[in-house]
Amino acid sequence: MTLLLTAESLSATSTAGTLLDLSAVVMLLCAFACLGSKLFDRYIAYYAFQSIVLAFAAGVVAYSLHEPALWALAALTFLIKGIGIPLATRRFLLDRLELHRDAAVSTGLSTSLIIGAFLTAFAYLAIRPSTLPHGLVASAVVPISTAIILLGALCMVVRRHTIAQLIGWLILENGVFLGAITLTATFPFIVEAGIFLDLVAAVLIMITFVSGLAHRLATATAPELRELRH
Amino acid sequence: MTALVILVPALPLFAALAPIAPLRARELGIVLAATGTGAFACAIAVAVHVANHGAFEAGSGFLYVDSLSSFFTLTVAFVVVLASFGSIAYLRSEERRADLNRLQIRLYAAGFALFGGLMLASLETGNLGLLWVLIEASTLASAVLVGLEAQARSLEAAWKYIIISSFGVTMALVATLFLYYSASSLVLSPNQRLTWPALFLHAGALQHDSLRLAFLLAVIGYGTKVGLAPMHTWLPDAHSEAPSPASAMLSAALLNTGMYAIIRFQALARPELGRYTNHVLLVFGFASIVIGALFMVRKGNFKRLFAYSSIEHMGIISVALGFGGVLGLYGALLHTLNHAIGKCVLFLTSGEVVQRWRTRDAGRVAGVLARAPLVGGVLLLGSLAIVGSPPFGLFLSEFTIIRAGFRGSSWLPFLLLALLVLAFIAFVRTTADMATGEPQAAEGAAERQSIVGASPLVAGMTVLLVLGLWIPGGLNSLIMHSIGAIT
Repeated sequence: MTLLLTAESLSATSTAGTLLDLSAVVMLLCAFACLGSKLFDRYIAYYAFQSIVLAFAAGVVAYSLHEPALWALAALTFLIKGIGIPLATRRFLLDRLELHRDAAVSTGLSTSLIIGAFLTAFAYLAIRPSTLPHGLVASAVVPISTAIILLGALCMVVRRHTIAQLIGWLILENGVFLGAITLTATFPFIVEAGIFLDLVAAVLIMITFVSGLAHRLATATAPELRELRH
Repeated sequence: MTALVILVPALPLFAALAPIAPLRARELGIVLAATGTGAFACAIAVAVHVANHGAFEAGSGFLYVDSLSSFFTLTVAFVVVLASFGSIAYLRSEERRADLNRLQIRLYAAGFALFGGLMLASLETGNLGLLWVLIEASTLASAVLVGLEAQARSLEAAWKYIIISSFGVTMALVATLFLYYSASSLVLSPNQRLTWPALFLHAGALQHDSLRLAFLLAVIGYGTKVGLAPMHTWLPDAHSEAPSPASAMLSAALLNTGMYAIIRFQALARPELGRYTNHVLLVFGFASIVIGALFMVRKGNFKRLFAYSSIEHMGIISVALGFGGVLGLYGALLHTLNHAIGKCVLFLTSGEVVQRWRTRDAGRVAGVLARAPLVGGVLLLGSLAIVGSPPFGLFLSEFTIIRAGFRGSSWLPFLLLALLVLAFIAFVRTTADMATGEPQAAEGAAERQSIVGASPLVAGMTVLLVLGLWIPGGLNSLIMHSIGAIT
């Protein structure tokens, strides 16, 4: 009917809009849960769950817009982010290095949760009023995805362990993807596929580095990564 | 023509397969140098074609070469040639010393080839999404090089590099999303909304708020790659821990690729946002120059010194873009080329010094001129060139940038000048002490000067000298056309 049928035209009150909204909120909660935990396998579990919800959201958009490329994206998200990356991190890092508890936290849990709440509020204030039109699903979801991006960044800042930083970056990446599927559902598939490929390669290289580092230092925490200062 | 454009990145990418074959280290080096030289030759042919026939576009904008891309392609390809000749020397000496095992040598060759090929590819696409994908991929390839020596120090540098630049580049992805969104009211196909020439045609009609967000995030995101302060913190570590030819590529090619992306975003944002874009670049630029110059004062690891100097020079280029106007852009592009060649030569020189003295501490190196006259001479002349003394190319480009500054404001160029003087003193103080002085008895005597190792140093210095005295007509018109393509 129109030249462009994109997610921007999904109204917030449609079923798809409600489902997307809901998924976004669940993803935000996952990010908060990650921020409030101290166990490595929890981090990974929350990340995996968040990715599966993201795959579901991509599926919703794909269904309502009849975009075959987005179906492929949803499947890729589920397989790689929901299953592949969590499995690999668990097998190659947690089990091999026998890591359980993250002791390298620079800020207390409650403090970081409060900072996280402020960041979420900030995301709403910064994004909502000016850039996005009201009544569309994007205007509800993009502030949440911005909040997820900020929470992921916060994770990277308050946690000093390399694995926690890796998970923080992955959460941030999920936030970007959530924004991408609602804001720009018609992104050319070849670009989306390339982004995915980069993500996978990055995670693989990071896992190699972390395990290499951990073999050399008993625990690879950032405060111990001080050699380069001198 | 399409074949020629594809060959530029395809030749180095093809060389990434060479490590599968049972070649020895020096043969791998020769493959790198041969494909690099081939890519450079193709880049020249592409530049000539673009000069005669205008911008080249194919594959609905996925392949797009205008004057600006061919200028950057030439710069990067030349750096790849110099660094790959440096790699022959590096691989040969590592093979003789057996510091690296066979797997590491293979990884080096594959990483180097991928790194070069992906950077060249990113300069030849008009699709901003693909540009992002290729820049991120080249980061990953270079992270392998940084972590190659697999000691705790280099792994640590590689971790810092990959996590900070992945973070930054993710911001650039968000920028790309907002740019795409800002074009949603235009009658463009989804693919065209990511394609630079189509967006540039409608640059005045992009939605204001999302465009501003996109531009800011792009400067922060790609600025992390460029090493603009305060996102520069990965840079000194990665540059000092990577093998020297890889440091040369990081400093002289990767930073420029990031700057290329910023220039593209600025060109899109300027019609709608006006002087705002210039002010943003001025702020980040001056911050980088201050940080770079201040950290250069401290004596210590000389590869870190060169890295801080890269931060300073990226700041200068950013300031030049901030001054704007034809003169500012001319200075920025000329400075990009000059800095790339100069810094490439210096990092290769540092590699020669590290191989002889087995240290990166400037305080423990003395008398390079006496022990190895060629390396010492290039170290001294290269340092003078990089801090912008005549008759080398950087003097000319910095002079152009300062002149561009006086067109706009009265006091900013003075600040720039003062910072350049500070950088001059800090830089030459260290390198002059390294080059002159009395060498300790046994230091640095071990190696004979190899011709392969010397060739990129001499070639680079010669080009730098020529560019200081005379700008060839072809280069001049290429730069003028590049400015025409983005204004």
